[in-house]
Amino acid sequence: MRRSDQSLRQYIRDVTTRVRMWLGALVHAEQFDLEMDEELRMHQELKMRELRETGITVEEARYSARRQMGNALRLREESREAWGWNWTEQRIADVGYAARTLRKNAGFTAVAILTLALGIGANTAIFSVVNGVLLRPLPYTQPERLVTIQSNQSLPDLEDIESQSQSFEAVGANTMQRLDYTGGAEPLQVFAITCNAELFQALRTHPALGRLLTADDDHYGAPGAVVLSHGFWTRQFGADPRVIGKSMPLSGNSYTVVGVLPANFWIPGPKGDLYASLRVVYPAAAKARGVHFLRTYLRLKPGVTLAQAQLEMDRTDASLAHAYPDYNQSRHRHLMPLLENVVGDSRAALLILFGAVGLVLLIACVNFANLLLARSASRQPEMAIRAALGAGSRRMIAQVLTESLLLALAGGAAGILLAQAGIKTLLAFAPEDLPRLGGIAIDFRVLAFTLGISILTGIVFGLLPARSAARISLGEGLKESGRTTAGSRASLRLRRTLVVAETTLAMLVLVGAGLLVRSFQRMQSVAPGFQSDNILTMRLELPEARYEEAAKQRLFRTGLLNSLNALHGVRAAMISELPMSGDSLNHNLSIEGRPVKLGEEPDVQTRTILGDYFSIIGIPLLRGRDFSAEDREDTPVVVVVNETFVRDFFPNQDPVGAHIRWSRDDPTHWKTIVGVVGDVKHFGLDQPEEPAVYDLYSQIDEPWKRWMSLAVRSSREPGELAREVEGRIWALDRGLPPTAVLTMKDVIDASVTPRKFNLALMSIFAGVALALAVIGIYGVVTYSVTQRTHEIGIRVALGAQQRNVVWLVFGEGAQLAVLGAIIGLAGAEVFTRFMASLLFGIGVHDPLTFLAVAGILVSVAAAACWFPARRAMHVDPMVALRYE
Amino acid sequence: MHRDEIPPGSLYLLILKTLSRGGVQHGYEIARAIHRVSRDVLQIEEGSLYPALQRMLARGWVRAEWGSTAENRRARYYQLTAAGRKQLEIEISRYERVTQAIARVMQPA
Repeated sequence: MRRSDQSLRQYIRDVTTRVRMWLGALVHAEQFDLEMDEELRMHQELKMRELRETGITVEEARYSARRQMGNALRLREESREAWGWNWTEQRIADVGYAARTLRKNAGFTAVAILTLALGIGANTAIFSVVNGVLLRPLPYTQPERLVTIQSNQSLPDLEDIESQSQSFEAVGANTMQRLDYTGGAEPLQVFAITCNAELFQALRTHPALGRLLTADDDHYGAPGAVVLSHGFWTRQFGADPRVIGKSMPLSGNSYTVVGVLPANFWIPGPKGDLYASLRVVYPAAAKARGVHFLRTYLRLKPGVTLAQAQLEMDRTDASLAHAYPDYNQSRHRHLMPLLENVVGDSRAALLILFGAVGLVLLIACVNFANLLLARSASRQPEMAIRAALGAGSRRMIAQVLTESLLLALAGGAAGILLAQAGIKTLLAFAPEDLPRLGGIAIDFRVLAFTLGISILTGIVFGLLPARSAARISLGEGLKESGRTTAGSRASLRLRRTLVVAETTLAMLVLVGAGLLVRSFQRMQSVAPGFQSDNILTMRLELPEARYEEAAKQRLFRTGLLNSLNALHGVRAAMISELPMSGDSLNHNLSIEGRPVKLGEEPDVQTRTILGDYFSIIGIPLLRGRDFSAEDREDTPVVVVVNETFVRDFFPNQDPVGAHIRWSRDDPTHWKTIVGVVGDVKHFGLDQPEEPAVYDLYSQIDEPWKRWMSLAVRSSREPGELAREVEGRIWALDRGLPPTAVLTMKDVIDASVTPRKFNLALMSIFAGVALALAVIGIYGVVTYSVTQRTHEIGIRVALGAQQRNVVWLVFGEGAQLAVLGAIIGLAGAEVFTRFMASLLFGIGVHDPLTFLAVAGILVSVAAAACWFPARRAMHVDPMVALRYE
Repeated sequence: MHRDEIPPGSLYLLILKTLSRGGVQHGYEIARAIHRVSRDVLQIEEGSLYPALQRMLARGWVRAEWGSTAENRRARYYQLTAAGRKQLEIEISRYERVTQAIARVMQPA
């Protein structure tokens, strides 16, 4: 016991002494050296005395002692190495030396750092978007336990799912509703997230102020309670905590503010201003089993896997199909992780951009290696001298690597600055439907990424020149000066290979950008199916409190259209779902005389209009007749269908006169098809149109359809016109806020934003890639001209024409560019298929793109050879031959 | 006077054994002891001894303290630690394994 105690104490003392010595000596390196010296001096003295005793002279003794002492310096160095400082010291010396040489070669250093900064900066910016959108976990407690049902659901189905399953801790659901807030100075449309109380349990949200919705707020007939978003609370109420308990007029009903959400609260979809119970805000829709409009948030119980939950969900599907065949006959509910659902389609595009920007980095790195090689060639004499002075090859490699690492880290730092500016631009540009843009920033993960690629770049691409530094032969290195030797020819060959490689990579990026450009052109040339010029649009929604009855709505609509059409040079109509606005609504279709199994009725788009919509917006009538003033509330219900509808349901038949109805409606409510109009690109220029049925606001029995978009054709200035239209609206109803006041051209533009975003980024990458590759070609050709000055001089002396000399240089550049282009095209054949989802109207191997891009690359490369060619042209044979 | 080189790898063994036998000693004493005990055959070069001692310090096999010699001169005294004693055993068994192996090889067939 005592012994082990003692040895423990001994051990601790040993360790502390060692640490103290290690640290102490590191800090007091001088002290360490002094102590070593003292120890050695004593040793020497004792030894001399001993030697003297054996009878030799003082001089001999001293000499002998010294000799045996060996090189005192080396001894000291070895002793220091025992503690591992020597390595550190050498590295510090290397860094110091590298920093000095780099400073002396400011031009080279600037070009190298800039090259890397471009590559690393672009990568950091895109990675931060990839990180922010795809990788970053959702901002909830245990977000990995949150799943969602892929399709939207109705509340009654969700209630049954919850009561029939054991897998879920909470089943949250929400949708978005526009409500009019009339408590401020002007009527204001607010985005209300209508949800169930369980939404907050599923997301594990805690209020910043007050409380969240509870079961007491979330039943039919409960008094209205709202929870404010932090942003709305700040904007509208100046972040006043006394707002709790206040009442808020929303679309004619009164709600009480019960709480405020934290500032960082986030949910997928549009930003909500406030949260209220769906059962309270919209009881009719909440009760309807057939209205599938809820996004779901299901929190798995601990220990339940997604697969288990899906198995249980499949059983629930079967039981619901049995209980409610009308609505659940063929509904299959597929569970997926919430994150995957939120990220959705943006994944493919982002990963392709990330791949492209990765290629740009690779090109930058190849250029960097090329620069280093060029430099190491010009440094051969210096290296040879260092080798001659005894620097080992390991030490030389370490030196070269230190330099490239230093450059790469500087490039990384500059890259982060570039990225910061780049991210700002990206975010300004980015399409709104790219999810989770808000949190994109340079976080620790991005910094780690940047540091990682910088170090990797420095080491991997520094190794090439480092290898050549290690192979330096003393004689060659010292002798060489200007004349081509075997060594520099080998290095030139390596550099040419690198240039071909980077041209190949640039070609890949260029082809990618080219395909996107062509897709965009194709899309731009798609006819939208209507005339977008001189059309002003805006959206209106009649509040339920004041416009519950269809008659009141009708009065407002006809009143407004009459009032607008009375304006000089103005024609106005309205439609429930404006093309490319993102709005759409569908019904199940039944056609007279064609019975279909329950639950298997086809979907059709339904759009409700009023006024001369088709002629105002320029949709051509193809068959039958347009709606007319004779089609009124009390006349037979008529509808107009689009071309796709005819193609899908009446191929090679005349649909005019046929009867259709909505499958869920009264089976006697038939509508008669009276006309066929042209298709419009309702879902975007790059999307196919779906079968659609147009009906009339004046004839529908759907009082819940309280929204509409105005389409106003006029050659007047849109801003001025908009103010006038607003005036007419407010003359009828002071409490109606028009939203989405846009020209039709703006609407189309907004619908192509995602494509524009991808295109803009890809083009920038392609530009950078091309520039880097061309700089690479220019560098090698210029270098080669310098190397061949002597040869060119001889050629000129032997009678070569300027033309021949120019061709010599151009030939070299063109050879590299063409080789790179050919390999690049072959590579593009393989890689472009990953882009298929981003293309429109062209194949992944679009020959025109491939050829055009190759042409651009080769001609730009040729242009870059002009400078060295001109230099070669002016070589004076006398000077060149003397130049030895 | 002929001196043999120290067989590679056995320097630590010699120093550890010497410290274990003679207790606290300074560098010169260690070198002397090895020389003497080996009957003048083994001579440790100081260029090897002191770096080796520093490495052993760094590994915690020995510890060092400044003290005074009998003639009142400052000297660094080395002493085995527990880890050093353990290391000595390791070195000894390694040494025995190797010498036995060599002996077997050298045996006439």
